[in-house]
Amino acid sequence: MQRRAFIHGLAAVGALGCLPAARALAANSTGSATAIAPANAVSVDQLPKLEGDITLYLGTGEGGLYENVLEAIKKRNPKLNLQIRRGVTAALANTIVAEAKAGVRRADVFWAVDSGSIALVAEAGLARPLPADLTGQLKAGFQYPQWAPVTGRIRTLPYYTGRFTADQIPDSIMALPDSNLSIGWAPAYAAFQSFLTAMRLLEGDKATADWLRAMSKRAKSYAGELGVVMGVERGEVDVGLANHYYTLRLKAGKPDAKVALAFTKNDAGCLVNASGILALSEGDLPVNFIRYLLTREVQSYLATEAFEIPLVSGVNPPPGLVPLSTISPPRVDLTALADLRPTLNLMRSVGVL
Amino acid sequence: MPGVLTRWPASYPLAFIIALMALVPVGVLFGLASDEVQLFDAHNLKVLTNTLLLMLFTVLGSVLIGVPLALLTAYVQMPWRRLWLTLLAAPLAIPSYIGAFTLYAAFGRGGEIENLLGLPVPAMDGLAGATLVMILYSYPFVMLTTRASLLSLDASLVNAARTLGMSIAASLWRVVLPRVATGIAAGGLLVALYTLSDFGTPAIMRLDTFTRVIFVEYNAFGLSQAAMLSLQLLVIVGLVLFLESRVRGSRERPGRHLTLWPVRWQRWLVALAVMPVLLLAVVLPLAVFGLWLMRDGAGEFDFSYAWNSAHASLLAAIFAVVLAVPVAHAAIAGRAGRLMERMTYFGFGVPGIVMGTALVYVGLQLPFLYQTLGLLVIAYVLRFLPLAVGSVRSTAEGLDPSLVKAARVLGASPREAFQRITLPLTVRGMVAGAALVFLEAMRELPATLMLGPTGFETLATYLWRVYEAGYFGRAAIPGLLLVLMSALGLALMLSGERRADFDVTETPHS
Repeated sequence: MQRRAFIHGLAAVGALGCLPAARALAANSTGSATAIAPANAVSVDQLPKLEGDITLYLGTGEGGLYENVLEAIKKRNPKLNLQIRRGVTAALANTIVAEAKAGVRRADVFWAVDSGSIALVAEAGLARPLPADLTGQLKAGFQYPQWAPVTGRIRTLPYYTGRFTADQIPDSIMALPDSNLSIGWAPAYAAFQSFLTAMRLLEGDKATADWLRAMSKRAKSYAGELGVVMGVERGEVDVGLANHYYTLRLKAGKPDAKVALAFTKNDAGCLVNASGILALSEGDLPVNFIRYLLTREVQSYLATEAFEIPLVSGVNPPPGLVPLSTISPPRVDLTALADLRPTLNLMRSVGVL
Repeated sequence: MPGVLTRWPASYPLAFIIALMALVPVGVLFGLASDEVQLFDAHNLKVLTNTLLLMLFTVLGSVLIGVPLALLTAYVQMPWRRLWLTLLAAPLAIPSYIGAFTLYAAFGRGGEIENLLGLPVPAMDGLAGATLVMILYSYPFVMLTTRASLLSLDASLVNAARTLGMSIAASLWRVVLPRVATGIAAGGLLVALYTLSDFGTPAIMRLDTFTRVIFVEYNAFGLSQAAMLSLQLLVIVGLVLFLESRVRGSRERPGRHLTLWPVRWQRWLVALAVMPVLLLAVVLPLAVFGLWLMRDGAGEFDFSYAWNSAHASLLAAIFAVVLAVPVAHAAIAGRAGRLMERMTYFGFGVPGIVMGTALVYVGLQLPFLYQTLGLLVIAYVLRFLPLAVGSVRSTAEGLDPSLVKAARVLGASPREAFQRITLPLTVRGMVAGAALVFLEAMRELPATLMLGPTGFETLATYLWRVYEAGYFGRAAIPGLLLVLMSALGLALMLSGERRADFDVTETPHS
């Protein structure tokens, strides 16, 4: 049902109507949903109305789902004139920096699927500090003064269920190359490079280089991680390295897909990375806009429909994902993951890029 | 004014300005690359090899497919000729990344073909897969430029050869083809540059090429390194441009072109021979789209995207042709003009995302243009001008200079001679060039994303959006629409070409 609703819903309103949480977001009245509000998750009903002109740079949106959220925000705030520029995340980050150098500012808010691009803009000194009550809504470990993580994605090992069960998949990422499994990966993919940066920070350069070397002997390269998951599902490889949502989305569209998720324990293999948003211009409007994305309604919508992990306390994780309490992600400063250059050099020296 | 004209061809000043404009983005690349330089390493050698092999095989394959198809569409009187021509040019309407993805999804273990028919088919990837896809989506460049040259070729030489006992095949090979070498080379050049700058196909087919390395650098926030690598890529582009400029065609009077009337079994044979190309390049992607459409449903779709695409692409096509005319004429007029023409080609060989970034820097210097439709159209023109220049030049080269001289003797000013003789006779090349620019602009992505007005959504950007997130069903409607509209544009322009065709070759006194 979710999948159908999703498919028919680019114009948002119709599809949003099927979902209680989203209906509360789109409706102009105070919804009944407030009654069940868990601690910490703010409802859209508690937020001020947005008014005026705002331009959003949206880096690689999640295929209409971010769009649905934005449509719903527009519908709820008729006096808001929201302009959206979409693009490749790194390209938009470069554009924002180029604009700042030329003394031009067109974007008020930058929402990116990749925390690295957020860090690039923040390090250029272009992000406005966010109020503490906003960042305080986020889970511990996801609170940053200059930007707000919106949703999380966890690194996983999708495996081919036609031949394997979960207990045959190693629970240590460092041990993966020592197994007899054939492996699919996407070294050119940004999410993989962030993961490798985390490994570098956690295990050191040498261990990471050794791991890459061992992996490259048995790994098959794909262009992207959707490709990895499709390859695993076809049985081309036994196990893959990919963000969790590709598998969940594939299974949502194809329930009998021969792929399931395994997790490593306490290492970069189960890193939780995040999409993020930052304010580029002064004033209340950009900050209040960001508040909307951290509401219970938006967070649970993105969880149920995009299978992303909500980062505001008190919102349920996506369906089909094991409870987060059973997963033990490593502690990493997401902003530090923007330090990609040494990672790329390492990958080059080993010859996997 | 006339004093200057006797010394310098009239087209030079304009062509010079246009060539300088085309070089501006390259200048920006130099600026971006200057602060960090890391030159070649061993891995890049492998990448360079892959890139050159892909380019070489793609050009060879495109010529092998494109030239026979050009002969077919120009000379052979098949039933529904226009339809055949439109269908055969239709791969231009399909972005190669879409083609690559549908082919990848259709072939191999667990692919759509195996799912549907139960037939095991080999996987489509690596150098072979990338080459096949690139050939399928770029042979129309060769076909269209060669065809334009073929149509202005006088048939009397072939008729003479036939009278002297040469077979049709031999006379096509020895009498016709050598005379359209520039047309073939112009198409081959476009194919080479397109292959060098394409990112999507090698990425999907898992082939490590220059553009992929550039893209990886770019996404890892190594903008200057990406710019540096793009400049290295431009060295290859320069080499290709030089090689192509060595190809010389013949200069001769245009006349009524050859016409071949196949009998029934020959018609069937031709149709059969053309089928594999059409099946793979056009039918297969459309079928896969159809399959996804049935499986996932269409979603809702805003038809204003289609209007945006058509509108911007049409403007780009018109401006590109207007600018291409002086450049093409300068190229014919002399060596300096030839150099100016070569300069306009560089934009076509730079990967879109790097070119887009360079143009963001250019656009920021022109605040009144930044993020307007105007800048986007300029970007399209800078990127795709070579497409128009190539076809205008190859037609103009076939122009009989004595016609202009006759007009001058009869008292026409150079301007009048140009307007009344040269221009009408090159309409065919202009139309073909406009069609190429239109189709290319329709499927262009990175510059559209980076330079268009905020909120400006086209079919290509919408396709990218849904593809990016893996919701293929929704790609079906815009994908089909993109193909349909491009085919429609193609058909309209080809019917314009027919009028030009009539003017040049059918009137008895030409």
